[in-house]
Amino acid sequence: MTSIIKASHLSRSFGPVRALDNVDLDIPAGRIVGLIGPNGAGKTTALKAILGLSSYQGELSVLGLDPARERDRLMQDVCFIADVAVLPRWAKVSQIIDLTEQLHPNFSRERCLHYLESTKIRPDSKVRALSKGMVVQLHLALVMAIEVRLLVLDEPTLGLDILFRKRFYSNLLNEYFDEERTIVITTHQVEEVEHILTDLIFIKDGKLILNASMEAIHERYTEVMVRPEQLEAAMALNPLHERVLFGRRILLFDEPDREKLAPLGEIHRPSVADLFVALMGEGE
Amino acid sequence: MNARNLNSLWMLMRREVWESPFAFKWAPLLIAGLIILLTIIGLILGARFDGNMTFTVDAMRLFADLPAEQKRLIVSGSLFATSSLFLQVMVLVILFYLAGSLYDDRKDRSILFWKSLPISDAMTVASKLATACIMVPALFLAAIILTQLALLLIGSGYALVAGINPFTNIWWPASLPRLWTVMAAGLLVQALWLLPIYAWLLFCSSWAPRLPILIAVAIPAGVSIAQHSYSLISGFRLPEFNLGLIMLKRLGGGVLPGNVNIEVGSGSGASALEDLEFSEELYMSFSNLGAHLIKPEMWIGFAIAAVLIAGAVFFRRRATDN
Repeated sequence: MTSIIKASHLSRSFGPVRALDNVDLDIPAGRIVGLIGPNGAGKTTALKAILGLSSYQGELSVLGLDPARERDRLMQDVCFIADVAVLPRWAKVSQIIDLTEQLHPNFSRERCLHYLESTKIRPDSKVRALSKGMVVQLHLALVMAIEVRLLVLDEPTLGLDILFRKRFYSNLLNEYFDEERTIVITTHQVEEVEHILTDLIFIKDGKLILNASMEAIHERYTEVMVRPEQLEAAMALNPLHERVLFGRRILLFDEPDREKLAPLGEIHRPSVADLFVALMGEGE
Repeated sequence: MNARNLNSLWMLMRREVWESPFAFKWAPLLIAGLIILLTIIGLILGARFDGNMTFTVDAMRLFADLPAEQKRLIVSGSLFATSSLFLQVMVLVILFYLAGSLYDDRKDRSILFWKSLPISDAMTVASKLATACIMVPALFLAAIILTQLALLLIGSGYALVAGINPFTNIWWPASLPRLWTVMAAGLLVQALWLLPIYAWLLFCSSWAPRLPILIAVAIPAGVSIAQHSYSLISGFRLPEFNLGLIMLKRLGGGVLPGNVNIEVGSGSGASALEDLEFSEELYMSFSNLGAHLIKPEMWIGFAIAAVLIAGAVFFRRRATDN
């Protein structure tokens, strides 16, 4: 299995703040990785290091290249949306398409126009005149039309309505993704990407809190909606987190003995959002 | 540099024109329009004082009787003169363009898009420099050529009215191929001459947290003032070497075609100016340009420019949106 992104002891400090603190990463090909963390957790810092947009300490190799020194070569096989609304505002849509076509060897104009067909974006309109959501649509259409091995999306659907978000993720999964490609997504709308992720990384204060495949996570964590009379027995099993829904307690367990849990209530898989709250809320 | 790199460079230069269509395309066309308009207004006013055109016709015929050498001087000299307004505006346009060229996309964060393309930072810096040295001069030269053709057409109309042959008396003395070649070569040599100034602006543009043009002016101005104060206080005299003045001299004493280059000997003063004979050699010769290229100042400038350009690439590599 070849590594797409391999990092060891990756660190970056801004003054006293350690935005990335000894991060080890190994992302193989053919995965869709969700990088999830609260604001200021180090997500963007990590992505910028991976994309060759900032310096770092430690070792990092992306597609076998050093991103800080070989960004231009790396970008032939990597594409990213670092943030929404960063397309040049003076340009016309057609000019941006022309530029990308000429400057990117793996860009397909047909595919880009195909994605734009389903939007209200006209080739002769200026980016300045587009709404924020339309700029995102345009950027996504550009990115999806580039054949790359690694796609990095930082909050890709911010400001888009739910219809477009759903369509985007289904396009991403059905038309774009294959076992040769790797996608890294950060987003706050965890629920929407949950079902397409193959791997999940939680990051907090520059450290990785969780880094596992979805299967492993489903193996490891279990939620139980406990019957009131069983609450005491359940609490004795040392739950990770507790929340209340419709007056009933829901407890989250890390690597529990499932046979002991079964009599206590209804067992189900925790959602990524619930897991996030449970793991990130620790110590607060 | 292979074909793909060359194609990328060309595309990036076109990108610069797309970004600043007013400064690069409309400004020279506007100047062309202005010059042609003023010429026409002048001719209309002239026609009011000279109702039957007798004086105009006489003047045209007198002109036609001049020796060929003088006709050449008058026609090509006046065509050259029309270019000076263009070229002064052009230098201003280039200076402001370069000061913003590596700054604007950092400010509006579109640098994140540009850096997502497989283009090296050295290529990006090279495209800005090539735009300043080749693309913008070429666009301004095109507008100059348009203006000159329009003026020659107006002149031809008058020649026909006066009954003289416009081809032998106006178009031939204009010696257009030579005029345009000298101008094109002159613009390139001027770009090389100004390269250290251009590189300085690019350098400031690559790291300035804000207002790069102000920083680019303030640093040499500050150094000059410090130098002045120091030598006034220490030796009660003006400094012999002054950074600000050197930069201003470089800008002013350029090799613009149409910049008449007069070498006045140090001792002879005003008398040398009186002895000066107005001839084509002053503005329309390749030997002048060649002489500029072998000046040591030119090569010192290249060395300074190389360091500053390397600095600009260094900062560009580290630049992101904040």
